[in-house]
Amino acid sequence: MKNKEMAYEHFIHKDFRRKIILKVNAILIPIFALLTLFFVELSYGEHVPTGRGPPGPSPIEEIVGVPELLFWLLLLVVVIPYLVIMIILGVSLTIYIRNFSFEVLENNLVIHHGVITKTKATIPFIQIQNINVVSGIFDRLFKLYTVKIETAARSRSGSSPSLIKFNPEGHIPGLKEPNIIEDKINEMMKKLSHVPSELEDKLFKPEELAFDNFISYILSKMREGKELKTNIKELREKMNISSMQLAEKVGVPIQTIKYLEEGSYNPSLSLAYKIANVLNCKVEDLFQLA
Amino acid sequence: MVGIIPRFNKKLVSRIKELREKQKISQQELAKSVGVSRQTIYYLERGMSNPSLTLSLDISKILNKPIEEIFYYEPFVVEFLGNKTVDEMDEIADVTGVNLEKLLNLRKIDDNQLSTMYTEEELKKIAEALGVKFHILFIKDEG
Repeated sequence: MKNKEMAYEHFIHKDFRRKIILKVNAILIPIFALLTLFFVELSYGEHVPTGRGPPGPSPIEEIVGVPELLFWLLLLVVVIPYLVIMIILGVSLTIYIRNFSFEVLENNLVIHHGVITKTKATIPFIQIQNINVVSGIFDRLFKLYTVKIETAARSRSGSSPSLIKFNPEGHIPGLKEPNIIEDKINEMMKKLSHVPSELEDKLFKPEELAFDNFISYILSKMREGKELKTNIKELREKMNISSMQLAEKVGVPIQTIKYLEEGSYNPSLSLAYKIANVLNCKVEDLFQLA
Repeated sequence: MVGIIPRFNKKLVSRIKELREKQKISQQELAKSVGVSRQTIYYLERGMSNPSLTLSLDISKILNKPIEEIFYYEPFVVEFLGNKTVDEMDEIADVTGVNLEKLLNLRKIDDNQLSTMYTEEELKKIAEALGVKFHILFIKDEG
């Protein structure tokens, strides 16, 4: 029962088809009207009596008594392509709407879509960056909304931005009530806001790591400061180098060398390397854990 | 006597990850056994931090390798040659006239060997082929 509540499913509204057809028509009709005008102008030329306005929406009326050539030209170039486009669009939109479904599962948002190639897109909630609800001019005519889900993986790996624009991963068009899905996704994201352990490394910010490192460094200094044994002094005296000279050579205050020789200071590895280099020996010869 | 020694990168290179994986120890396990957080180990593996000596000694004990084999400073030459492919190395050998084997040996050179095995001319040509100034890669040590 709980599962059923979790698995929320939804489809796009049928108005989506009308909206797309309207949108395509808004682009196509001016183009075809211009084409018709162009052909009519071309074949009549000066024969067109003056005062005749541009052809109306029905080109058939205009070409009554016109040479057959123009009629066929218009039919082949304007009418048939328009009809073919409309039929293909209508059929593919119907299939698209029928195939499109999405569901909010426990960890993922799953979107099924595709006309010929069917795609099942799974978007993990942890990857979702933000959710945009978009409503264009044509959308508003039908009171439709598009929900766009931006994922982290997409925006980062996008080598060609144009590809992303045309084929967005989380793109749910034609929704009457976008708030339902938005709320649902937000709710799921909140549940998953804790970071899974295997992602911890990738998500930690360097500053946090630096701070953490700083703390553990101090803790380790406090904890281990007295466990270190050193024979800097012997080696230094053997080589006839004063503590002042050593301090100068490795670039630290003389006090540090004194503390080091007492064994009450835990140096950083690079300082240990520098001292070993000056005294011409290995780090392990210089310092030992007690 | 004029000797040439390589210039070293300031950043520590760490082989913790490689050695740890060879011995099948996880980050978590290593962190626990040396008494630091896992982030510290992660940080060390990336060479992003300068560990304390005691921590380094602890790690060297657990990984059973001397400190010098776990943490070291890399000469700039090695860094520059390190990411070259065999073909690129071949090309450098052609341009400089230094034989390929000698070039490959330069990758694991010890600073004392440098001036005995390579002449200053050779090193200058190599630096030129790598597109770097000689004095960035090497230090001429007089005295």
